Amino acid sequence: MTRTRGRGSLIAVDGVDGAAVHAVAKAEIKAIARARRGGVSVWDASGIFGELVVAADDAGRPSARTLLLLYAADLAFRLRWEIKPAVEKGHTVAAAPYVATAIAFGRAAGLPGGWLNSLFAFAMQPDAARVVDKASPRKAKKVCFVDFGCTHLSANGHGLTRHQLAARARAHLTRFALPQSSRTAAAPPPPPRARRR
Amino acid sequence: MTRSAAAYRNLRHRARRHFTAARRGLLIAFEGPDGSGKTTQRKLFKTWLQSQGHSVVTTKWNSSELIKPIIKSRKTVQSLSPEEFSLLHAADFRHRVEQTVLPALWSGNIVIADRFLFTGLARDVARGLDLDWVLKLYQPLLWPDLVFYFAVTPDTSSRRITASRTPNFYESGRDVTALDDPVESYYTFIKRVIKEYESLAIIFNMLTIDAEQPIGEQHHRLRALFRDGQTRPWSEWNVDAVAEWLALDRRHR
Repeated sequence: MTRTRGRGSLIAVDGVDGAAVHAVAKAEIKAIARARRGGVSVWDASGIFGELVVAADDAGRPSARTLLLLYAADLAFRLRWEIKPAVEKGHTVAAAPYVATAIAFGRAAGLPGGWLNSLFAFAMQPDAARVVDKASPRKAKKVCFVDFGCTHLSANGHGLTRHQLAARARAHLTRFALPQSSRTAAAPPPPPRARRR
Repeated sequence: MTRSAAAYRNLRHRARRHFTAARRGLLIAFEGPDGSGKTTQRKLFKTWLQSQGHSVVTTKWNSSELIKPIIKSRKTVQSLSPEEFSLLHAADFRHRVEQTVLPALWSGNIVIADRFLFTGLARDVARGLDLDWVLKLYQPLLWPDLVFYFAVTPDTSSRRITASRTPNFYESGRDVTALDDPVESYYTFIKRVIKEYESLAIIFNMLTIDAEQPIGEQHHRLRALFRDGQTRPWSEWNVDAVAEWLALDRRHR
């Protein structure tokens, strides 16, 4: 990976539970001085996957490789428009998810590690990495890349269920990405908002 | 060996056995810069093949029903970086290989590809990306049985394209040339693309057609090259691409 360090920094937050990953990313950014907060860069900022959802059924379902090429295209978009400009201005950005989640999904789907590493060679090296290995205590409301991919693959006759694929991806993240990062349990849920009367 | 590794080895064996059979599908790619007359020749060639009793399936560059609309909308707003351009076209290619090319080859058809992965390689490298990285995007590689390369000079390509229309933003490479004039940008960009194509034609042993020659002569040369080349042995390099597709597609398990 190319190391492109600006004045700010990039925190990669990875995991298979979308809501938990987002909560941790938000907490990371909140812990930074307000002037240096660059925000959270989330999956599908480019809208590619939103367009896939509305594609005609007879267009054919994407395979794991196709989904990962699309994820990489979306990440290139996020790097260009969200992450690099903020980092160059001296801000801290949390990318949730980043590369490790996609690699874990690819490994769960049986794709070779060499291909996956090469695919994401364009991505800048994060300054810090967090792996969220616990589920959100709240009922997850955010569909994440792993959910999306596992749902597509299981419907495509991959041979494994959505839960089995997600469990494989989680196991891969825990085994390979955790040693290089700091393990982070899901952030506690925010206090319930006071109801308007 | 794990169960999945044994299953994958079995799929590789099936792929090899199927494609080394006496009668198999053939993959023929038509490559070359814009304005080289590929599409004209592809149509003539298809008609001739059908007249010879072959069943022919055609696939065109950037035509997957799933990915094409995504690329089109981003081209319209000129929002693609070279990496995004490359990755989206690789996704479109992979989807067509899985949905169109391999099913047709498995059923014994001749597949004519109007542009194949070499188009991606030539254009992406001309945009400044690393050849090795781009080539890996297209893995597992599916090599055509025959690749016809339609060679023209940058002057001919530029003259033919600009005779009837103005090249669009990405076609003229304005995203990387920093030139405002589409015609000038096209000429600059197509020179780079042709240089890459010429290297690829040597590396990948393409069959070069002089696309400056009359249409009829080119067509007869294609027929002769096809007759000589159709008995080429199946490329062992393709076994991973076919095995991965068999693993995807339950119908063939």
